[in-house]
Amino acid sequence: MDQRNNKMGWLFTSPYLIYSLIFFFGPLIWSFFLSVTDWNLIAPTFNIIGFENFMDALKSPSVHSAFWVTYKFMLIFVPIVTVLAIAVAVLVHGLPRFKSLFLIGFFLPYLSSGVVSSLIVKGLLSYTSPLNVFLRKIGLDIDWLGTPLSALFIVGLILAWKFTGYYALILTSGLASIDKEVYEAAAIDGVTERQRFWRITLPLLYPSLYTTLILAFGVTFGIFTEVYQLTGGGPNNATNTWQMEIFKQAFTNLQAGYASAVALLASVATFISIFIIRKLLEIWGKRNGWV
Amino acid sequence: MIKKSLGVLLTAALATTMLSACSTGQSSTGNSGSGGSSGGVTTIEFWAAPNPTQQAYWQEMAKAYESEHSNVKINVSAIKESPTSEASIQSAIAAKSAPTMSENINRGFGAQLADSKALVPLDTLDGFQDIIKERNMSSTIEPWKFADGHQYVLPIYSNAMLFGWRLDVLKELGYNEPPQTYSEIVELTKKLKDKYGDKKYLWAKADLADPTAWKRWFDFYMLYDAASGGNKFIEGSQFTGDQKAGEEVLTFVDNLRKESGLLARQVTDPFENGVGVFTDVGPWTFTTWKEKYPNLKYGENFTLSMPPVPDGMDPKDSKTFADTKGLVVYASATKEQQAAAIDFIKWVYADAANDAKWFEQTNLPPARDDLTTNDSFKAILDKQPELKPYAENVPNAVPPMDNAKYNDLQTIIGTEAFNKVVKGEISPADGWANMKKAIESALQ
Repeated sequence: MDQRNNKMGWLFTSPYLIYSLIFFFGPLIWSFFLSVTDWNLIAPTFNIIGFENFMDALKSPSVHSAFWVTYKFMLIFVPIVTVLAIAVAVLVHGLPRFKSLFLIGFFLPYLSSGVVSSLIVKGLLSYTSPLNVFLRKIGLDIDWLGTPLSALFIVGLILAWKFTGYYALILTSGLASIDKEVYEAAAIDGVTERQRFWRITLPLLYPSLYTTLILAFGVTFGIFTEVYQLTGGGPNNATNTWQMEIFKQAFTNLQAGYASAVALLASVATFISIFIIRKLLEIWGKRNGWV
Repeated sequence: MIKKSLGVLLTAALATTMLSACSTGQSSTGNSGSGGSSGGVTTIEFWAAPNPTQQAYWQEMAKAYESEHSNVKINVSAIKESPTSEASIQSAIAAKSAPTMSENINRGFGAQLADSKALVPLDTLDGFQDIIKERNMSSTIEPWKFADGHQYVLPIYSNAMLFGWRLDVLKELGYNEPPQTYSEIVELTKKLKDKYGDKKYLWAKADLADPTAWKRWFDFYMLYDAASGGNKFIEGSQFTGDQKAGEEVLTFVDNLRKESGLLARQVTDPFENGVGVFTDVGPWTFTTWKEKYPNLKYGENFTLSMPPVPDGMDPKDSKTFADTKGLVVYASATKEQQAAAIDFIKWVYADAANDAKWFEQTNLPPARDDLTTNDSFKAILDKQPELKPYAENVPNAVPPMDNAKYNDLQTIIGTEAFNKVVKGEISPADGWANMKKAIESALQ
């Protein structure tokens, strides 16, 4: 019986195993091989150059910018999207009816094309747009995409707009799972609205919040479309993300080996960062007695 | 037993489905994975620029050629632009499914491909010299020779990039024609700002502050080619930039900035909407203008000029950047395919009427020496006088560098010098010095 179950287990997990072999381990090994060569994929010959690509990447100013830009985006995007997602989730959860309809409304930006939303934002921020004409009239002339800090904020805000509905969806299901009796008991005890949120809702929402925070931190390592469309990584590499850097090296400079090395460095940075963030979130949860 | 067989079958079906999902959908025949010879018919794959008019042109040419040459079949399709046409070509070569030939290759990308031995040196193919002679393009193709002495790319069109001027605004400021020297333009900028303040700029273009490599073709190189008399900037792996000319260009840009004449910000069609009065214009623009800005009329509210020159230089000697792309034959093609490819091109360019058709359909000036003297093009130029200055200046246009690292090198021009000067972050002399140092280091 155990042997039969064993076989069935292998059978049912085999699609995932095969999928992983083909689409994960295969490319990973291939990428590592490329990263130790100077091959551009099309030359008939290439040299094994060891870790030279990695050393070059570690010394490259644009790789340094990709590393730091990720954390800058984290500082902007994660707090904004988290606060907005919680606000949307709490507001929608408190609605007497049509909750799903409102949630779908907030979820729509997530389905929209990053290219289209970036182009719309580009138009809105144009020097001659009504917004900028008005701002100049009151003495504010802002080069939105040409100043490092504002360019980072613009991209961070577009992403927050896009992901708020998606995270709100996860948080809403978290709110729905909170037992109403807890609130009723609290009401009998006379807790205020503020206490209700900080002492009951937030702690019981922690598992869902943990998921959305991990997802949000993860997003910052994969930013590409908005940056590609709006700033091209500029000004002065201020918005140059890992994905932008890999794209430039692989598809513009045709340096497949070097791009693979950058991609592997990016995955190491992502893995370590997410690991640390997870640990910090767990410590935060434990310290407050939420887990 | 049946259950065991079902399990195996299920696994096999899943694996097959996943593997088939990896397929690009392209058929793979012949040695290069694209075309080949069968039953006495040689099939060649031709990748045209991802532009409907160019694709239609080559389809028409292929059809006409096939009707006269039953032993050759030409499949014309557009180069995929996802993520870029260069990346699509690179992937195709890596996947051994490169076409026999393709157009839309700039000289820098041609150098990258040639460096990787992915291209056939065209001058080694029988019939290539006949093409040069019959198409009357000996002078135009001369600067296309690569550092190793071979010709890898046959230029199809050559846009001698020009600057457009808003003639209506110039007239308001008391000018009947565009100024041609740096000090004249700075003087005009002062008048423009006095009259319009922050409503109008001399040169309004977000690209001025963007370090993307190709953007330098349409600002720095246009000015530099004019100031240096067409100096090549980089030859092979040597930096040969003309310091005096380079610093003059950067100083000119800096002076425009000081006069608030530059707007390196995102603006929707600044020249067309009159926010900027001066900008680089390629002949492909006119088709868009006809549809989107029909009020823009050549000679009425806009005109064209060669790039301005530093004070003391004769504007008549001005050179400019050649936005030019050409055709290549891939090394992965069989000898039969290479021979068929060159014969097809020879057939197309043996008749000037085919170049005239190209010019008429695409507005892109054929890369020929006789564009203004050959009667085949007269009717087109008479009908569209705005194309005349492009045709006249084909011999004054300098093609891009043939260095495989052109992306990195041109990015340096922006990040170390041009973009910084536009933003007032560095002096022209320091910008040039930093750029030179960084380029020389990158060339090593």
